[in-house]
Amino acid sequence: MTEEKAKGNADLPEKGTTVLMLGNPNVGKSALFNRMTGANAIVSNYPGTTVDFTSGTFIEGGHTYTIIDVPGTYSLEPRDAAEEVAVRMLRDSPDATVMIVLDATKTDRGLYVALEVMERGMPCIVAVNMMDAAHEKKITVDIAELQRILGVPVVSTTATSGEGVRDLAEMLRKAKVADIGAIAQRLRGEEQERESVRGCGGCGGC
Amino acid sequence: MEQNESKEQNEQKITLIGIYVALLGLVTLAFGIADILVWAGIRPGIQVGILAIAGDDFFRWAWGGFIMICAGLFMLAGSTRVATLQQSAKVVLGGVLVWLIAGTDIFARLCVAIPADVASPAFFNSLSGFLAAFAPPYTPAVLLFPFTLGILYLIWIHDTDDS
Amino acid sequence: MVFSSDARWEMVDAITRQTVTYGTYKHTLGDVLGDLTVKPLTGIPVAFAALYAFWSVFTSFAGTLMTDGFMVKFFDGFWLPWMQSVWPDPASWHYFLFVGNPAADTCFEAFGMLTSGLFVSIGVVLPAVLVFYLMMTLLEDSGYLPRLAVLMDSVLHRIGLHGYAIVPIILGLGCNVPAVTATRILETKKQRFIMMTLLALFIPCGAQLGIMMSVLPDLVGIVMLCLIVGFCIFGFVLNKVIPGENPEILVDVPRYHWPVKEYVAKKLWNRTKGFLKEAVPFVLFGILVVNLLYLGGVIQGLANLLEPVFVTWFGVPKETVGPLIAAFLRKDLAIAQLSTIPMTTYQMVASVVLVTIYFPCVATFVVMLREGWKELIAAIVVLFVVVFIYGGIIHGIGILLGVA
Repeated sequence: MTEEKAKGNADLPEKGTTVLMLGNPNVGKSALFNRMTGANAIVSNYPGTTVDFTSGTFIEGGHTYTIIDVPGTYSLEPRDAAEEVAVRMLRDSPDATVMIVLDATKTDRGLYVALEVMERGMPCIVAVNMMDAAHEKKITVDIAELQRILGVPVVSTTATSGEGVRDLAEMLRKAKVADIGAIAQRLRGEEQERESVRGCGGCGGC
Repeated sequence: MEQNESKEQNEQKITLIGIYVALLGLVTLAFGIADILVWAGIRPGIQVGILAIAGDDFFRWAWGGFIMICAGLFMLAGSTRVATLQQSAKVVLGGVLVWLIAGTDIFARLCVAIPADVASPAFFNSLSGFLAAFAPPYTPAVLLFPFTLGILYLIWIHDTDDS
Repeated sequence: MVFSSDARWEMVDAITRQTVTYGTYKHTLGDVLGDLTVKPLTGIPVAFAALYAFWSVFTSFAGTLMTDGFMVKFFDGFWLPWMQSVWPDPASWHYFLFVGNPAADTCFEAFGMLTSGLFVSIGVVLPAVLVFYLMMTLLEDSGYLPRLAVLMDSVLHRIGLHGYAIVPIILGLGCNVPAVTATRILETKKQRFIMMTLLALFIPCGAQLGIMMSVLPDLVGIVMLCLIVGFCIFGFVLNKVIPGENPEILVDVPRYHWPVKEYVAKKLWNRTKGFLKEAVPFVLFGILVVNLLYLGGVIQGLANLLEPVFVTWFGVPKETVGPLIAAFLRKDLAIAQLSTIPMTTYQMVASVVLVTIYFPCVATFVVMLREGWKELIAAIVVLFVVVFIYGGIIHGIGILLGVA
């Protein structure tokens, strides 16, 4: 219950890029956070232990990232105290990069909040987590296609084993603001190639 | 072809393992009822061979007895067409309940066995005293425990046919 | 560009249609077992069994093995005589504060800060809290806890809460401090207020349970029954009285899986550390303050003042007034103190129930304050009313049964 906690945004470190880790409850955010920072965060099956948010730092490619584990939320229209905290944190750090964590077995629910974040015009990167569970349930997620549609980097991860976490860290610097209009167009089949992302979209694993 | 055969086997109403599960369920149910009856004071306490039902406290005998009854009922409910997934799950759940009670009974004995007697000045029990604490008689759940291990077979068949 | 929520869901649908494919998924034994533990007919017995195992391991480890097996022997046999022989001047005030009664044979009777204080916090409460949090963490990480939440949902809805309220309730049986923090998983102010008030009133913490088990093992059942009944009655009343919403539960039930060793260890360590840091200093400090108040005659004065209320309304002997007042600082010690006063069974049960419900300990008080002072004041008012009414009810039932 007593994770290292910061009381309000006054305590957030100023150096480097801030990364907000956002997603539904129980998508393995805390586990992913632990993998990336090795910090003293708690993984749990019920929402609530992450109300006091956890933050940590890691260095990738000579760049220091401050990463914050935002309480799990289903949408940006808050329903409870934890979700309120999530929304407030997004509002209070407009310059932050948002790492949206999806559960590969329940992508739809996570995508909803992902679209909400994208509408706010914040630079995003998407991590499709729990790939192992999806594999067990015979669910496949076309990462390359998802990346093409969303126009932001998409990485598949399995936080419990650490797969894809390295890629995720490397891709953070390629995070970009999604063009929500373009997403809608792509969904209607009206192609509008975005070379920079497309160039990487082919392999899917990166 | 092989698929069909195993399907047929699954649908068979009464199988050998089904009879085993049903018997196990009946015994478990009987033990559970006995636990509660002894606790309620119908009989002062039963000891038959290495089996003992003391019935001395509410928690272990009334509450525990209720759980044994449920475990017995789960096994009986799952004993027909036992190889199907749904039915196996009931049996496994019943087995898990018995294991929980047996496990906590054994753990309770272990906790009594480690420290020395209240009157003695030493902290740890002697080896012979430690072993003596595990001597019979045993509670019904502990006695049932070895006989419930057959349920592992049910878990095993469902684990392997998955892949 | 901002979309409506319907438009957003349409986009989500379109995206998943293009990117996600579902294979034919065969149910596994784990899935079916998962379903069975949520359905009431099979789920309720399983919940009973889980609580049985929880309680059995708790009493075996904390009670039989650690406290009775080793700690009592160490503290009564070595620590207390040593303190009594080493500390100078048994008649002085500092002897009274730190060592307590020079004639005491056990640490329960001594009441010094370094005798009873250390014994209670390290000998009784620490093993209880440790094994409690271990079991709690295992339940949580195996995925059983969310299922219990679903199962308890309909019951808890009656008292203005929902299934997830089971988390602060179970945590509260360990220590009310993390439990108050955990009330944040409830959505509305109303729910949080009800939960906090009920926690402070009717949920005995691990410290209290530990002490209850060692000083009056035969009465724990009756005391718990009184508390559970009170919990339901007053939850129901509070739900009717307090305005506000009680929204439906939104649960995510994860699959059953084996807990990961490192996470369990980490969580266990964090929680135990939190307890050591936040609660133990209060035990020691609380005894110090109570002893000071005794020395200054404050408790005696209050006891004389409140005596008529306690004796006529609650039907407990006047010696209990002191411990009841001291209970504000440390409820567990108050129970230990009560056990040394000669009383009838009814008086014992009534006074232990009163101590448990009547005020949160200082540590709980502080965390409740952190959640909002207005709620705290409202909770205190409710507390006084409830203690008065419920104490009266128990006394009334006692009179009807002819035991009071």
